[in-house]
Amino acid sequence: MNVLIIGNGIAGNEVAFFLRRARRDCRVTILSAERFPEYDPCSLPYFIGRDVPRDSVFRKRWQDYHAHQIQLVLDHPATAIDPEAREVTTADGMKFGYDRLVLAHGGSLFIPPIDGIDKEGVHSCKQLAAADRLDQSSGSAAVVIGSGAIGIEAAEALKKRGYAVTVIELLDWIMPALFDPETAQRLKLRLEGCGIRVRTSEKVLRLEGAQRVCAVVTDKRRIPCDTVVIATGVVPGKALAQTAGIDVQRGIRVDAHLQTNAAGIFACGDCVETVDACTGEDAMFQLKHNAIEQARVVAHNLIAEPATYAGAWAFARAHFFDTHAVTFGKTTRATQCELGQLEIIERDEGEDYLRIILKEGRVVGGQAIGRFGDFIGLFIGAMWRKDDIPGIRENWSLIARSGSPHPWTYRKLGELIGLKS
Amino acid sequence: MSRKTNPFILVDSDKCTGCGLCEMACSMLHHGILSPHRARLRVLRFDNGRRNVPVVCQACEDAPCIKTCPMNARRRSEHQAVVTDEERCIGCRACVYICPFGAPVVNPDNGKTLTCDLCADDDTHPWCVQACRDCGALKVVACEEAVVRKSRQRAEQAKTAYQPKKGPVA
Repeated sequence: MNVLIIGNGIAGNEVAFFLRRARRDCRVTILSAERFPEYDPCSLPYFIGRDVPRDSVFRKRWQDYHAHQIQLVLDHPATAIDPEAREVTTADGMKFGYDRLVLAHGGSLFIPPIDGIDKEGVHSCKQLAAADRLDQSSGSAAVVIGSGAIGIEAAEALKKRGYAVTVIELLDWIMPALFDPETAQRLKLRLEGCGIRVRTSEKVLRLEGAQRVCAVVTDKRRIPCDTVVIATGVVPGKALAQTAGIDVQRGIRVDAHLQTNAAGIFACGDCVETVDACTGEDAMFQLKHNAIEQARVVAHNLIAEPATYAGAWAFARAHFFDTHAVTFGKTTRATQCELGQLEIIERDEGEDYLRIILKEGRVVGGQAIGRFGDFIGLFIGAMWRKDDIPGIRENWSLIARSGSPHPWTYRKLGELIGLKS
Repeated sequence: MSRKTNPFILVDSDKCTGCGLCEMACSMLHHGILSPHRARLRVLRFDNGRRNVPVVCQACEDAPCIKTCPMNARRRSEHQAVVTDEERCIGCRACVYICPFGAPVVNPDNGKTLTCDLCADDDTHPWCVQACRDCGALKVVACEEAVVRKSRQRAEQAKTAYQPKKGPVA
């Protein structure tokens, strides 16, 4: 069997190496648009911030590919798929045949249509080549456009490198996809306490400068700077699939086996649209753990051990300087257009903050800052099991009783939501 | 199909008296001091010490902390424990958050996480298990399928019988 994988990211590599460990007799080829062995995009801000050496971002070394007899074709972005002929064409016109194709090319940085965004001094840190350029450039004042997880991590990294940093967010609070405004407001104050300026509800109009950027102009002010980092999110790479007649919506559509509607073509990683493992709703959580789990399902299906994908799960952490925050499941905003009684459990104790979102008495999401994060895993478990929180309240006297046969996790969970023994 | 399981420290919280010797032993071996804050397991104490639960890394088969660590610092050691590579760890606590038990401990000295390494570098049994031999609340189970199956059965029962919705349990 000849397996061709497009994309040398986390999903692509997980498929390749899993496959190789299971089978020695198939050909495995990875087509990469980049020129590095597998690296972890999550690690890049920490390399820029000099928390770790550059070597630490890599998940594989060149010799790993060799040792596992995986052919790695670098610098060959795929440009077309012919599902009939089972052939992939790359940018330089080379053709690669396959028996099974895996689309794992991920997503690309969303570049907002802002005047002057192509100027010198405008960077990103989604890919290693771009992160290298940012790392090697020098400057003193940076503006980060976008306040998602990557934006905040990039801001921290640049601050550590001695830049004056401003983060600009179009929406009303930072990390709007991850946190509710109440949590985000606390994190914003913490960021500002670390010397990072945060501007929310502000729209970037244009970047000024002759060749090199010298200022960012928003609808409220002009911010002089010499470095701009774009962190406005990632769009799934679906054009390649779409032109080949593969079903796409927000991302590439796949069935429960992560197979596309084209015979012999699977997809995994940031480019696919899957379902939320807890709710079954369509979801796109472009996160590393989901890419790894999807890749394993694809690899199982490739070796004819049918496996189904349970769905993706939302879990992210936000960490800068000595602030530690975590979020899982849905935010209040994400639940707003749904039916069902919402209840918010909040605990606010000095530096520490806990916010649990219940819908019809079941945990659907939560956020924590500081100490409350230590046991957030108990709430993630409660969300998975769909634990009945009003039931825990009702039976609390039994659960909290000495010698109670209830698992300690219920006991701890009750304490965390403020029940007293 | 018989399946090999990873060795891990099995906890019987009914036998735990909350004495904390395990924490002392752990910090002594790894850090050379008696400091529960630096121990790789911790005892949660409820009801003024009438109920005690030692929490320790269970080295999950498909460990979520390995998948979520942004720095790929969480890895399975040659002894099948799941450990943090301190060279790579940036102290972000992703492993603490995603752990179903909150087992990883944050080292107060450097902010990096610590989990049980089964005292792999030491010839004696894990120190915590040695320290607990009078109570017997901790023991190492290695590839003992029967034990693990039984403990899983118990967990399954707990899950269904104690779903609070079903009302009080005697």
